[in-house]
Amino acid sequence: MTDQAINQTAPAAKAKREFFSPLTLKKLRRFRAIRRGYVSFLILAGLLLFSLFAELFINNRALLVKYEGKLYFPTYSDVYVGTEFGLDYQYETNYRDLQAKFAAEGGDNFVIMPLVPWNAYEQDFIEGSFPPYPPSMEREHYLGTDAIGRDVLARLVYGFRVAMTFAITTVAVSMTIGVIFGCMMGYYGGWVDLVGQRLIEIMTVVPFLYIIMVVANILQPSVWVLALIYILFGWMASTWYMRSMTYKERARDYVMAAKSIGVSNRRIIISHILPNTMVMIVTMVPFFMVAAIGALTSLDYLGFGVKPPTPSLGELLKQGKAHLDSPWIVSSAIAATTLILVLVQFIGEAIREAFDPKRYTKYE
Amino acid sequence: MAEPILRIRQLKQHFKLGGGLFQKKNFVYAVDGVSFDLYPGETLGLVGESGCGKSTLGKTLLRLHEPTAGTIEFEGQDITHLGEKAMRRLRQDIQIIFQDPMESLNARHTIGMILEEPMMVHGIGTPAERRERAKALLERVGLPRDAVDRYPHEFSGGQRQRIGIARAISLKPKVIVCDESVSALDVSVQSQVLNLLLDLQQEMNLALIFIAHDLSVVRHVSDRVAVMYLGRVVELTDAHTIYSSPKHPYTQSLIDAIPIPDPRQRDRERIRLTGDVPSPINPPKGCHFAARCPRAMDRCVTEQPQLITLSEGHEAACFLNE
Repeated sequence: MTDQAINQTAPAAKAKREFFSPLTLKKLRRFRAIRRGYVSFLILAGLLLFSLFAELFINNRALLVKYEGKLYFPTYSDVYVGTEFGLDYQYETNYRDLQAKFAAEGGDNFVIMPLVPWNAYEQDFIEGSFPPYPPSMEREHYLGTDAIGRDVLARLVYGFRVAMTFAITTVAVSMTIGVIFGCMMGYYGGWVDLVGQRLIEIMTVVPFLYIIMVVANILQPSVWVLALIYILFGWMASTWYMRSMTYKERARDYVMAAKSIGVSNRRIIISHILPNTMVMIVTMVPFFMVAAIGALTSLDYLGFGVKPPTPSLGELLKQGKAHLDSPWIVSSAIAATTLILVLVQFIGEAIREAFDPKRYTKYE
Repeated sequence: MAEPILRIRQLKQHFKLGGGLFQKKNFVYAVDGVSFDLYPGETLGLVGESGCGKSTLGKTLLRLHEPTAGTIEFEGQDITHLGEKAMRRLRQDIQIIFQDPMESLNARHTIGMILEEPMMVHGIGTPAERRERAKALLERVGLPRDAVDRYPHEFSGGQRQRIGIARAISLKPKVIVCDESVSALDVSVQSQVLNLLLDLQQEMNLALIFIAHDLSVVRHVSDRVAVMYLGRVVELTDAHTIYSSPKHPYTQSLIDAIPIPDPRQRDRERIRLTGDVPSPINPPKGCHFAARCPRAMDRCVTEQPQLITLSEGHEAACFLNE
């Protein structure tokens, strides 16, 4: 390596050093050392990644079709109608039938289907009987079907994706509101604080469930409408925490020192107070997520959640309760919901322990 | 004498305590009418027991609290109600060093960031120049240059206080308020840090306001000493006179309380103060010290003694001197 090259790499190394303070690095290391939380984090991250690419594993569209020397990848492409593959219909190809047909013909053509060849909306009917159908390897309903013949596994995975999207979006947005608003209230105090406090108190006593019921009766809410309502009535908690944290930090000497230097209020908040208060917010994220997933699931269970065909854990629970004689529905719904909530909870506990300020604050 | 760099007149700092719409409002009379001058290059010691308002006075001087009444003049300019922008420019000239360096240095910033911030805020130099100056400052206060990339928790108490000093001098101020700056350090480190401060004072012709509760430290560093009791200055004179002939009973008792390392003087007569400092929320009407004063008279309870000049540069607020 030449001298010049060394000089060029040096600033990069420095920038990396400055991104996380050693205190934060210590906390991250400690988080990794708490096995239960870290493993839960890895599993949940894996599940999330898997669910983002769920179309490749659980789908009624084929992964790969070879037809007369040409390759097709229907998963992420436009719809291929039946005539494309020499069938006699003008609607979307049924790849399961196509696979069976190609296999019977025994030619060069073939279809590779995903692991579970059903999507979350499709209804399967077996002639001479009514759904729900029990788990069956042969029909590739590994967890059976629900009351109207939709694949339970597919609905679980896509329902998980919906729930996580909902949780991450609502937590991210309400955290952002909380950080901005809470910081302002705590730092400026005075009438900003006073008005904010009263606003929060008013918002807190509005009965969230009734609002949801009213809205759900007027319009069948999509996930996004539901998320919006949830944020509208859920930003107060993080704001309240941020406010009191900022209030406490504001009185500390380093803020005084910054003021005495002539640092602007904006800079004090962003560069001095926020790094010291964000830790608290980070520790609360998993618990807020548990709350959000729980809220969505229970709303779906009560029938005030996302509009019907959308796959959802709560709706599956509701079906399970209605069809207790088909135990595969209720058992898989409960297992999946419990697994998700427990994983997030474990992560939350590990973060809280790793970030425990008592461990790092030395009183000298 | 030269023109004072800082002139304080009847400065008051009252903090509101609770009090609703129909409730009587209470005030903490933390600083209650303090006046003094500070001359360039001198050290003014500010002593008093805890809770007497000396730290509040120091912070009010920097406008970290908005003064309730009175005036602060810096180099002839009234800065009591100066706007935020103008005040920000002026902050280059008046700096503060806090008591606990762990508290006053942001644990999440590197030493480099801490030292460069004042220059950055005031738009001095390029990033490279600022970094170079930060290193030079570290060297000046006796720390290695490569400390710039380290964090406050990697240093000992004395070293951290040196960093606090480096930050305070980074803008080449004219006045530094040292708010109990060495109280948290152990004795051997105290003297090192004190000597550093005094060296810097000589070098930069700094005026220091040295707030402390330890009279022996104050004697070591100060040119003049102001004694505070419950929000007021009760005696103000040069460091020699205050120890040789204190004129206020409170000062006398403070001087008496300095331990003398001589076992044969163990039984000497001493003024022992009894009781506690009255509450600053409802201070007594007359002399604040009257309740504990061994020589209190009737008029001390009803009338408030003013600071009167006894001799050139010696002021005390006690009726005994009339």
